[in-house]
Amino acid sequence: MALDNVVFWVFAPISIASAIGMLVMRNAVHAALFLIVNFFCLAVMYLLLDAPFLFAVQIIVYAGAIMVLFLFVIMLLGVDRGEDLRDPLLAQRPLAIVLAAAFVIEIAVAVRAGIGFATKAPEGFDLVNADGNTKALAEVLFRDYFLPFEATSILLIIAAIAAMVLAQRKAPSVTQAELERRGLIESIDAGVTEVPE
Amino acid sequence: MVGSTFPPGSAIEGTFGLGTQLDMLWLVPALPLLGAVINLFAGRRLGKAAGWLGTLLVAASFVVAALAVQSLLGHPGQERLFVQHLFDWISVGSFSVGADLRLDAVSATMILVVTGVGSLIHLYSIGYMAEDPRFARFFAYLNLFVFFMLMLVLGANYLVLYLGWEGVGLCSYLLIGFWFDKTVNANAAKKAFITTRIGDTAMLIGLAFIVWRFGTLDFESVFGAAGATLTQGAATAIALLLFGGAVGKSAQVPLHVWLPDAMAGPTPVSALIHAATMVTAGVYLVVRSAPIFELSDIALPVVLVIGLVTTLYAGTAALGQTDIKRVLAYSTISQLGYMFMAVGMRAYAAAMFMLVAHAFYKALLFLGSGSVIHGMHEEQDMRRMGGLLRRMPVTGSTFIVGAVALAGVPPLAGFFAKDQILELANHTGRPAVWILGTIGALLSAMYIGRLVFLTFFGRPRSEAAERAHESAPLMTMPLLLLAVGAALAGALNLTPEGSLAHFLEPVVGEVPHGEGLAAWALSTIGGVIALVGLALTWLVYASGRVDQTALEARVDPLPRTLLNGWYVDSAYEKGLVAPAKAGAHLLASVVDAKGVDGLVNAVGGGVRWLAGAGRLLQTGFVRSYALAFFVGAIAVLAWVGVRL
Amino acid sequence: MRTPIAYFVVLSAILFSLGTLGVLLRKNALLIFMSIELQLNAVNLSLVAFSRMHNELDGQVLAFFSMVVAAAEVVVGLAIIVAVYRRRQTIDVDQARELRW
Repeated sequence: MALDNVVFWVFAPISIASAIGMLVMRNAVHAALFLIVNFFCLAVMYLLLDAPFLFAVQIIVYAGAIMVLFLFVIMLLGVDRGEDLRDPLLAQRPLAIVLAAAFVIEIAVAVRAGIGFATKAPEGFDLVNADGNTKALAEVLFRDYFLPFEATSILLIIAAIAAMVLAQRKAPSVTQAELERRGLIESIDAGVTEVPE
Repeated sequence: MVGSTFPPGSAIEGTFGLGTQLDMLWLVPALPLLGAVINLFAGRRLGKAAGWLGTLLVAASFVVAALAVQSLLGHPGQERLFVQHLFDWISVGSFSVGADLRLDAVSATMILVVTGVGSLIHLYSIGYMAEDPRFARFFAYLNLFVFFMLMLVLGANYLVLYLGWEGVGLCSYLLIGFWFDKTVNANAAKKAFITTRIGDTAMLIGLAFIVWRFGTLDFESVFGAAGATLTQGAATAIALLLFGGAVGKSAQVPLHVWLPDAMAGPTPVSALIHAATMVTAGVYLVVRSAPIFELSDIALPVVLVIGLVTTLYAGTAALGQTDIKRVLAYSTISQLGYMFMAVGMRAYAAAMFMLVAHAFYKALLFLGSGSVIHGMHEEQDMRRMGGLLRRMPVTGSTFIVGAVALAGVPPLAGFFAKDQILELANHTGRPAVWILGTIGALLSAMYIGRLVFLTFFGRPRSEAAERAHESAPLMTMPLLLLAVGAALAGALNLTPEGSLAHFLEPVVGEVPHGEGLAAWALSTIGGVIALVGLALTWLVYASGRVDQTALEARVDPLPRTLLNGWYVDSAYEKGLVAPAKAGAHLLASVVDAKGVDGLVNAVGGGVRWLAGAGRLLQTGFVRSYALAFFVGAIAVLAWVGVRL
Repeated sequence: MRTPIAYFVVLSAILFSLGTLGVLLRKNALLIFMSIELQLNAVNLSLVAFSRMHNELDGQVLAFFSMVVAAAEVVVGLAIIVAVYRRRQTIDVDQARELRW
């Protein structure tokens, strides 16, 4: 029995179960924790697929940073209390489940028509990963995909600025009209004099 | 063979312009048209001058017409045909029609009558309509009418004729309803238009038939090829359809009902349109189309019968009228019946002669009645008149001249005209027509005698009659001129082969001959009949020896029946008009309001319902929108999957 | 490696549809957001699987970029959720239904 298969058949169900768990939990923190488990399972899948770099990045970025951020916000907003699981839209739940099942079936059919369920991974990946996956990845990244790389870096800066702008609280500002009303300036046209502390 | 006696190429050459007298033919209709246009747009500023302008332009048209006819007479009889091409009107494929004017003996006679009598009536109208606020508009319409009538008779093809035909119908409508603020007048105008429309439609179908068979509407082409092209059936069909138009326009039975009501218009209108010119258009049409009519075995007999029936019907109805103008209206219908009788017997020249004579004395009678009405301060009921001869001498005496002419007393024009027609009836083996026609002559003497004696003789029967006054010279002058014409017009055609008949011969052919009673005997009978009729009415109405009311009571219900025109109008009202109105009402209130509107509203309602159902999609929940996305995504995937 | 690639793809499909269910069925905005993250991860898995199948690294690079962009997106999205919470005192998406019939 190949180790790959064992690992796969252990972690695939766990990932599915944890995904389902995330879905059904009433408490948001519990759901987040289940998602973290799911991410770990996916990381293992990456490892199975000869992508060790991504395995590490998945854990560090997704499980370590993004989910932590999620937990911050959940606890900040105090919405970890349970939520009502009744659904006002009557057709939503059954229809969604049916459609989700239909989606999976469609993909399965497409895959079967495409590559078939028996195709195993071809052999030559060791050559690609010859000097280590990280090095190979870096070469592709900084050579072939350099422009997207730079664009992504700009994207990150923009995201950071956007977050700061969105989250900021506005300080109450004193308008000129207010100052004039308080008698601190003679008229709006004249200019500001002393602003008291 | 009628109408095609002009050998090809014998027509007089001419051009459009002002070169010779004949070349100026186009001025004859153009001058009245100019008057109409000026008066329509600038009339109000002209004031009284508008009337003089209109009159002078028609008089000038008469002068030009006379010059053209004089020039025409300068040519020998076989060559008296002049066609003037104004412009190409229609040219589609192989069908082309030009705006062409044709001057031959028939149209020459007509234009002289129209412009001559027309200018006298215009002159009269200056006085008659002097106080009307829409004075200039009246003359504009009158001039426009003269223009269209001239186009009708001068047309060299059926399309120009039809242009004139429709145009005079329009002007008749405008003029009958001139005082349209009174509903009665507006209704009379509508009735006239709609009734003649029935005839016009038949005529249009006839014209279409002609185009179909001949490929052209030109008179020379059609009449030249008629014998070769038309079968019996086709000729009969075309002839009867054209005659349908004539029946409408010339107010013959059964389309006569509009003419008595048309008396709602001003009296000059009645004189011009409904006596002298427009109603004779039907006679002109049949005379013009004689080549076609003669190809059919039953067309001309139909014309004869309808003419005869109309003569007797209208003659009796005229006897029972109380309104002075309505007597004259029925009289016109009856006299037109005589003309159609003549046509039906192929005596076209006799019909034309009667047309000319009738134009004179009928216009005179109408204008005279207008003078009477003016003098009676708009009173038209004869029962309230009486003794007006003393108070309105000029009007009265000229009126009597006209009446005597109409009655057919020799030696005035009416006598010669009727005499010829009755003589022809007798000589061509139609004894029934002769007898009935003679009865008709008796009737005409009686109704006109009754009118004259009730109006001008006896004691005045109302205050208005006592205070009646003579009219202004502007109105009495035309009366005098027309009286002269009525008296002397007989000289035109003293015998059936007289000078007018000779003049018309190249176009209408020879007058039929026959054997029968001697001419002098027939003439004597005719004259005696006229005098007997007049004497009878003198006895009843003027001598004071007979009690009219007792007499009328004894023959009741005859007076009321005659007054109502043998109830033809109410029969039409009940049988045709009321169902049509009911049908229209049904269409309007049910089909349109409920059906069509219902359909439209249903569409609107359907859209509303659809929108009402559709808006439920906008639940406001983001999740349902997301579900919609997902549904679409699955569908696309499935479709792609199936294709692959 | 002995596991057929197709199994990874099917697993990815299952995870993706579970993420969709989360988006469609939950009312808490944060949970919806987490479900979206699950969807993104499922797609990443699929990318890496195909990359392995074709013996190329392009899929892994794409997955890498996907992660980066997901991170940026999470940042901005959470900032928006916080701002919305400040305004409405709730993050129940069912409460935001003014734009309805």
